[in-house]
Amino acid sequence: MAELTPIERVKRFFNREPVDKMPFFTGMGMVLRPAIQKLGYKFPSIHRDAEKLAYAGIESARMFNLDSVVIPFDMCWESEALGNEISLYEDSEDTLYPTIPYKKWAELDQVEITPDDIDNIMDKYPMNLIPEAIKIVKNEAPELALGAWQLGPFTQCGQTIELDKVLKAVFKEKQRVEDILDKFSDMIINIGNALIDAGADFITLREPGVAADLLSPRTFKELIAPRLTRILKAWRSPKVLHICGSTDPLVEMMWQVVQDSGAQAISFDIKNNLLESRKKLGNDAIILGNYDVFKLPCAEETTVEEAIEGIKTNIDGLVDAVWPGCDLWPDIKPENFKAMEKTAREYKPGPTPAVGRL
Amino acid sequence: MATKEELLEALKDGVINYKEDQVKEAAQAAIDDGHLALEMIMDGLAAGMEVVGELYERHEYFVPEVLMCADALYGGLAILRPHVPKQDGGTVAQVVIGSIQGDVHDIGKNLVKMMFDVAGWEVYDLGRDVPLEKFVEEQMRTDAEVVAMSAMMTTTMLGMKKVIKMIKEKNPNVAIMLGGAPVTQDVAKLFGADGYAESAGNAVAEGIKMISRLREFEKQKK
Repeated sequence: MAELTPIERVKRFFNREPVDKMPFFTGMGMVLRPAIQKLGYKFPSIHRDAEKLAYAGIESARMFNLDSVVIPFDMCWESEALGNEISLYEDSEDTLYPTIPYKKWAELDQVEITPDDIDNIMDKYPMNLIPEAIKIVKNEAPELALGAWQLGPFTQCGQTIELDKVLKAVFKEKQRVEDILDKFSDMIINIGNALIDAGADFITLREPGVAADLLSPRTFKELIAPRLTRILKAWRSPKVLHICGSTDPLVEMMWQVVQDSGAQAISFDIKNNLLESRKKLGNDAIILGNYDVFKLPCAEETTVEEAIEGIKTNIDGLVDAVWPGCDLWPDIKPENFKAMEKTAREYKPGPTPAVGRL
Repeated sequence: MATKEELLEALKDGVINYKEDQVKEAAQAAIDDGHLALEMIMDGLAAGMEVVGELYERHEYFVPEVLMCADALYGGLAILRPHVPKQDGGTVAQVVIGSIQGDVHDIGKNLVKMMFDVAGWEVYDLGRDVPLEKFVEEQMRTDAEVVAMSAMMTTTMLGMKKVIKMIKEKNPNVAIMLGGAPVTQDVAKLFGADGYAESAGNAVAEGIKMISRLREFEKQKK
């Protein structure tokens, strides 16, 4: 049997067709320091340059044998397109992702998302750079799967207005919050479809601001889940739902969103009891995520053997692919990460609960 | 005129049910009637926050509710704190607090700050997105006993380790407290921190436990 290419592996995986070996990939931020060093790029320079974005993504995947490239890397794109300034930390030697230091809308009643923002967001800078970068990746690295992602409406709202105000407004100004979330949802649908049109092979909807240690499960059910369902339903291509933070109380509701929307997979971060989740969702669910993106690949003190053990634990937790719990941190230790990839491919060659083997 | 007990109850209930105006009115009445401000803070506001902590731990309250309770508490604290004499539990210690560079999230940081404010600490709040060296400089300038840092993103967490190293080299006796979603017990240990809170919610729970201990301490002093 010929080995599948990464893109074949990922496409078959999401189609629930048997694959040759355990996929090792991600749909969340993934740019790795050794790769950008090889390319001679400075970290702050890669975020708003379509070519650098593309090549940094490709080199990160190729250097460590991941099945996917992920575009883009940071979470400020949409907020910047809506008029906020970002900080790139150009003078810092540390790995600092762009942030939005000050938000132009101080209060919820100042928020003004126009039909033009929603319908033409991809024409605005910097959003117009992302499809450009995707096209470069598709041309230069056709063997790799390409994952795009979008933040969910609640988290995106927190990127545009201070999160504490949004959280309080859930109680104090519920209708206003609902209206804003609906506008963000429309915008996110349009962006996701534009990224798929540009060539993304799969897309991940990430809603880290709604974990059960922040919002009540009831609020998740009433306010968040219907919008996540609507967004995922409107997107084509394979799609994944990921929530950061504590998700044990949300597992069934998240899975309901996946099923109602026709999404393919569910992804958790480190704060999830994987075996319990598998028990709750059954063997039909494609479950991803949960490995520690700091401790295993990055921590100075973590040995290669410990990193290998961490991946074995992840696989023993009955995931269907080895996929991180969050964005991969750029400052990985190459020896750890390479060993993690090798372990993922070799540890248990048989089928996983939801996906068979060739 | 309301009795002391009625005022304490109004403060406590106002915090629990996030009634900021009620708390402000009760705090002002307490001052006008000559009640001890520290007692009002500890047995009114802090006692209310203790119940909020229990509600949070029982998953009846979540972060939005706690934030609204905190607003109510601060409404009262702003009125009462200036009337606490220094020798009567005024400034007890100093803390430098902030969110680490690259991180513009500050909910957890602000909730922990509340705990220090209630306890009567002198709080040097550096805000968010704070350059690493600034923590060290501020600790040196103020000689603060505690430095508290938060990061909500894995990608900014490593900066904490650098700050701890820089501070401990200069002053090994400073206690370092870490918090934030990606910070685990393992990480805190690896970084050489003295304490940690894993999330905004956990910071609340931990902070409220500290407030409870402080109330016990105040009771023992009486």
